[in-house]
Amino acid sequence: MNTLSYSQIQEELSPEKLAPLPPLNITILRNITLEPIEPYLRYLGYQMGFNVHTRFGGYDRIFQEAVGGQKDLLNEETDCVLIFLKLETLSWSLARSFPGLSLEQIEVEKERIQDFMVKVLAGIRKQTSGMILWHGFELPAYPALGIIDPQQKAGQASLIQDLNRFLRDILQQQPNAYFVDLNTCLIRIGARNFYDLRYWHIGKAPYSREALQEIAREVFKYLRPLKGKNKKCLVLDCDHVLWGGTIGEDGLAGIKLGKTYPGSVYYEFQQEVLNLYHRGVILALCSKNNEEDVWEVFQKHPEMVLQREHIATAQINWRDKATNLRQIAADLNIGLDSLVFMDDSDFEIHLIYQVLPEVTVIPLPRDRAIEYREILASCGLFETLTLSEEDRNRGMMYRAEAARKQLQRESINLESYYASLEMVLEIRFADEFSIPRIAQLTQKTNQFNLTTQRYSNADIQRLSESDSADVIYLRLRDRFGDSGIVGVCILKYEADQAILDSFLLSCRVLGRGIEEAFLIQCLKRAKLKGSKVVIGEYRPTAKNGQVKDFYLNQAFKAIGVANQVYSFQMDLTTFTRGEPQFFKQIDSEIDK
Amino acid sequence: MKERIFQIVSQVLGLPIDQIHEQSSPENIEAWDSLKHMNLILALEEEFGVQFTDEKIVEMLSVKLIMEAVEELLPQAKNDSQR
Repeated sequence: MNTLSYSQIQEELSPEKLAPLPPLNITILRNITLEPIEPYLRYLGYQMGFNVHTRFGGYDRIFQEAVGGQKDLLNEETDCVLIFLKLETLSWSLARSFPGLSLEQIEVEKERIQDFMVKVLAGIRKQTSGMILWHGFELPAYPALGIIDPQQKAGQASLIQDLNRFLRDILQQQPNAYFVDLNTCLIRIGARNFYDLRYWHIGKAPYSREALQEIAREVFKYLRPLKGKNKKCLVLDCDHVLWGGTIGEDGLAGIKLGKTYPGSVYYEFQQEVLNLYHRGVILALCSKNNEEDVWEVFQKHPEMVLQREHIATAQINWRDKATNLRQIAADLNIGLDSLVFMDDSDFEIHLIYQVLPEVTVIPLPRDRAIEYREILASCGLFETLTLSEEDRNRGMMYRAEAARKQLQRESINLESYYASLEMVLEIRFADEFSIPRIAQLTQKTNQFNLTTQRYSNADIQRLSESDSADVIYLRLRDRFGDSGIVGVCILKYEADQAILDSFLLSCRVLGRGIEEAFLIQCLKRAKLKGSKVVIGEYRPTAKNGQVKDFYLNQAFKAIGVANQVYSFQMDLTTFTRGEPQFFKQIDSEIDK
Repeated sequence: MKERIFQIVSQVLGLPIDQIHEQSSPENIEAWDSLKHMNLILALEEEFGVQFTDEKIVEMLSVKLIMEAVEELLPQAKNDSQR
């Protein structure tokens, strides 16, 4: 986001534009004046496709609102609670008159604050299961004991770090609660620009406009994955992006890439890209070049950080880049709105803005090549709330998918192709190891998702312990590797009927009979539980059109539509279908 | 400059521009509370690329006083508007 002025934001955010967007309810509890952050929250929400409603708690009333209860601020509609607890207001002595304190006084004050934080956190959680983002204490620019301070365990900076660690630990024990490190925002901007001393004194509003924008952006790094809006794939141009110069003209020895200037600019950028790969981001290339020239750089250039194995798919040709980006999305089986495209050419950037507005474009101006790494590192588009084994291995799995497509072209009929994949399905009830991944799938899966119910870890935990529900997951292995947990079904039981509350599959495993086998398994489970009928629902969203007829195709009967919810049912008393024959093994604990 | 100031005051206070006068102040405009005043100052600073001192901020309590404060920091802006 470029720096926007207050009046630009007001102009951009008209009520007509915001009204049709889904709401995003943000509650702010604080012991400082923070209202000027509101336009930035609203603007970033709008950019993400949401109409942000903010509710501010009273000035320095955090404890009363959290512990005493405050229904209009904290309820089940609350998507997110931001907590700003400034040390100056909470404990003047620790913040500003530290050198006059005895060790005992420091200890007493520290315990008081810890107790305060524990009670406030528990109080908020009691009232809402929404996301909690608690902003930690800022480190002082001028520690109380001067140069002695960093030498001492009992120094002011060290004490503040202790409090932050304590806060992080108690947040970690709560589901859907996160520690936001204000110090990283402060470092980026610098203390001289972070604070506006005039308004600190006039109105107890400590932060400058620049700081408030940075803080709002940091908040949205958490809200983006919460709402399933984080990006999955980074598509990179090659010339002037991965290396300086043009491979077609400058040749292998002529392009700029290496540990010293000017190649260091691109070397560092590639390292940042590789780091994203290791955090589960899929990498793709989209370049106007001769394909052999580009792969020659990957294979032969001694300073390449990225290797061919990191690239899930590539479109290196002379076609227009809009066509190529569509092809990349199709190859990876992800939506265009999951792509981030980085390119140095104004022509390509504007083409994509015009033709494919769903794609997020990050321009890389050639005269700012030294900032490429910063531009990527600061974008905040790929953040995830957890980092699972699946994330770490995602790049590998997408390469395997490409290999499967190759085999598919070689196989004559589909059944023999499926059989040649040697697929093993593992179907299990949720357990402590799988719950985070199951919750993540409910939050992130958009396309093959019948009801698009989003659940937190805590929700899944609760459902899996309930007698009237089953949380079932599907894991896939085949001859190309382990895809990990790729499917989730949640069955709820009411009297003699079972309801398919959630049924979803990761897109990368679609189109090989897995959806059918998984559904049949879940129906068998419902029958075993004594259900006579099973009800399936389809709730349309902008993304899940492909599953509109899924239940009909699986021999369910349509029974009606109400409030945009399509209902289907199947009689289980006569249900006897078996899974398709082409799986190597179906290893299930739910059908017996 | 006068026009730009009226524009910002109207935008920040959420009032139609024809209800803004040089004599407008927190005394006669209910929406002009201390929070709105802070937003107003921030928006003016962005618009004109200036920074008011803390003493000035607490004194700028009417459109007329705001205009004077901006003119003080941007003497050429006054000339522009007179020409």
